Amino acid sequence: MFYRLSGVHHANYVSDSRIFKVPADRNLTAFIFLIGLAAPFIMPSLYLNSYMLPWLIWTAAALGLNLVTGWAGQLHLGYAAVMAVGAYSAIHAARFGVPWEFALIIGGLASSVIGSLFAFAALRVKGLYLALTTLAMQFVMDWVLTHSPAISGGSHASLQSPTLALLGQDITSDTGYYYVAFGWCVLVTIFMLNLKRTGLGRALVAVREKDFAAAILGVNSFYYKILAFATSSFIAGVSGALLVATFFFLAAPEQFSVNVSIQVLAMVIVGGLGSIIGSYFGVALILLVPGLVNGIVAGGSEALGMQINVETLAHIPNAVYGALIVIVLLIEPLGLGKLYGNIRDYLMVWPFDQLRK
Amino acid sequence: MKFKQHLKAVALTAALATSATMASAQDEEPIRFGLCFDLSKSYTFVTPQIAQAAQDLAMYTNENGGIEGHPVEIIVRDHGNEPQRGVECYEQLKRDGVFIFNFLSTPVSNAALPRAMKDGNILMQSFVGRGDAVDGEVFEWVFPVGPTYWQQAANAVSFIKDQLGGDLSSGKIGFIYLDYPFGQEPIEILKTLSEKEGFELELYPVALPGSDQSSAWSKIRRDKPDYVISWLLAGGHVVASKEMRRNRFPIDRYLTSNWLNEVDIVNIGAEEAKGILRGTNVAGGQDVPIVKTMLETYYANGKGSGPESLVHDVYYNTGMAIYSAGFEAARMAIQENGWPLTPEAMKTAYEGLSGYDANGLMAPVTVTSEDHGGGGKTRVEQWDGETWVPLTDWSAEYLDVVWGVIKESSEKFIVE
Repeated sequence: MFYRLSGVHHANYVSDSRIFKVPADRNLTAFIFLIGLAAPFIMPSLYLNSYMLPWLIWTAAALGLNLVTGWAGQLHLGYAAVMAVGAYSAIHAARFGVPWEFALIIGGLASSVIGSLFAFAALRVKGLYLALTTLAMQFVMDWVLTHSPAISGGSHASLQSPTLALLGQDITSDTGYYYVAFGWCVLVTIFMLNLKRTGLGRALVAVREKDFAAAILGVNSFYYKILAFATSSFIAGVSGALLVATFFFLAAPEQFSVNVSIQVLAMVIVGGLGSIIGSYFGVALILLVPGLVNGIVAGGSEALGMQINVETLAHIPNAVYGALIVIVLLIEPLGLGKLYGNIRDYLMVWPFDQLRK
Repeated sequence: MKFKQHLKAVALTAALATSATMASAQDEEPIRFGLCFDLSKSYTFVTPQIAQAAQDLAMYTNENGGIEGHPVEIIVRDHGNEPQRGVECYEQLKRDGVFIFNFLSTPVSNAALPRAMKDGNILMQSFVGRGDAVDGEVFEWVFPVGPTYWQQAANAVSFIKDQLGGDLSSGKIGFIYLDYPFGQEPIEILKTLSEKEGFELELYPVALPGSDQSSAWSKIRRDKPDYVISWLLAGGHVVASKEMRRNRFPIDRYLTSNWLNEVDIVNIGAEEAKGILRGTNVAGGQDVPIVKTMLETYYANGKGSGPESLVHDVYYNTGMAIYSAGFEAARMAIQENGWPLTPEAMKTAYEGLSGYDANGLMAPVTVTSEDHGGGGKTRVEQWDGETWVPLTDWSAEYLDVVWGVIKESSEKFIVE
């Protein structure tokens, strides 16, 4: 009933390959897009700059990882390192005087080059071996960052980013930062939505399912894997640069360390491999829930007047958060995106399916 | 009808309650200190002690009339050493009226620093974050009261110089460190001083987390340095002590930074650790007036803010020192400029701290608008099997060299 299918007929390929086959999906997306646009006016600034903004940027990043892990099926444990390459190259470019528009692209391209160069070597192995090689990339990058002051910005390894300016406009307000993040996330989302219905997307899926079967079909699996790595690295690079330019204002190696890589992978897995809406949910769960639960627990204990030791108080949210991830994956191993899909499928024919029961 | 009456009653009580709290709040609005700490991940070896010290000190202050009549409120939150959550904590507490922050984590302090600088909020940053933040001319809102790692390393070299009879030209100093920014920081200073004083410097990097040091120590056995300066953390000292015994390196030639506490001593073994040296800006042990007061007033009656074992820890003293200086600055600020306390007044007051030593708790600090560190004085204390025995007086050496590095580094911070 809510996702009405009546009157929806796909009589030709163009109509069948539309992004939104059901009008309700399109309307819902448009509605969420409008809320996203209006967010600075309807949301308290705290939520805007500490939750929405990082959420959108990390979603863009997670979508990039989803491209390589969810679509092309290549496990990647060095994603944060690729983001670091983009962040540092973009900031160095901007500090050098390159306009931010180009600096961001330089960041993306630098990531793309390094990411695919690495993939070129790493893709000679598959599966767990590939995971391990990408992890090695992460450690190489960590080492490079902590040992080359020229890149990391002196002995403190923190590099301040110049003021972000796009199209000749200095961006300094929370609203401005938000729109930059929003714009980037929308762009990546549109790209990913379209990827599904292109030859490239189908080739990636073929490679994921069985790369030699794909080869038999005439899909050059090595080429498509490299392409997936290059594209996802570009997204990672720009996301990393934007994360620093709009959120941290300063790049430090810890922002792109190995545990961040694992976190992004967790976002993708909890959200659902190959699911776009799942990436949004996954990022929300991994990134925002710890802070939110922390606030709720702290607020709750204060309201109840309980004298809990600060350490205990800090560990309760961690336990809750861990339990949440386990619960989600137990209920639906395919992730939050699939969970949403289940609800959607249920509502599609509700309440008429009740008649059968 | 009944429901409506009910609603009215509830509304009335709520209104009364708010007006009552508002009245009392106007009388004595609290001074809020925001502690966004890592209580669950990497910094847990120090954060509970510091948070507990801050809470104890606040409790004691409040029971004795508060700061100029205003109670102190300590707000502790966990950020799990994640920069993103640290920023979130900063933004949230900022909206709750906090303008004095402490993050006690280098990555999180770094992430919050640009915001604090832009908003003009006080960032207490002793022992963490950028060392060059002591340069008050660049980092106006950051107060890392205490010595930088550079200054600590310089003071360590000066101590060794004294021990070797005032001449380092034939000396050899080893530097064992965790091979990441924390451990690498003193290298530049040590190199400069090695040129200046003519001693031989040997570097022994140890990979994180510092649990494998065998190659470093067998090299030390071959090189035979007179002293080894150590920039290791927590468990790293324990591993080092084992290696020292294996390689017959005397533990009383092992000089650490301020990051060595009773937990590490217990893990090494109190007897085994006899003679270990520690550079510090805070008097260790419980024989310090304020720590004694806490033990007698609260812990003797089981009313402390946490377990008593944490008080018998030199990091508790460190926390006391950090917050004593903060409270003193708040007191001076209100005395000078009255209520409400503003970040500007707090900044000016901080910069007016002169020869303040928290009644023998810490090295006297004189904070100025140029030097937010307060002089960087430390002393060397030795573990005698039971407590810390000071070997030297509070002093800061090679100030010109250290400030050369600070200025050179802080210059690079400024960007358009």
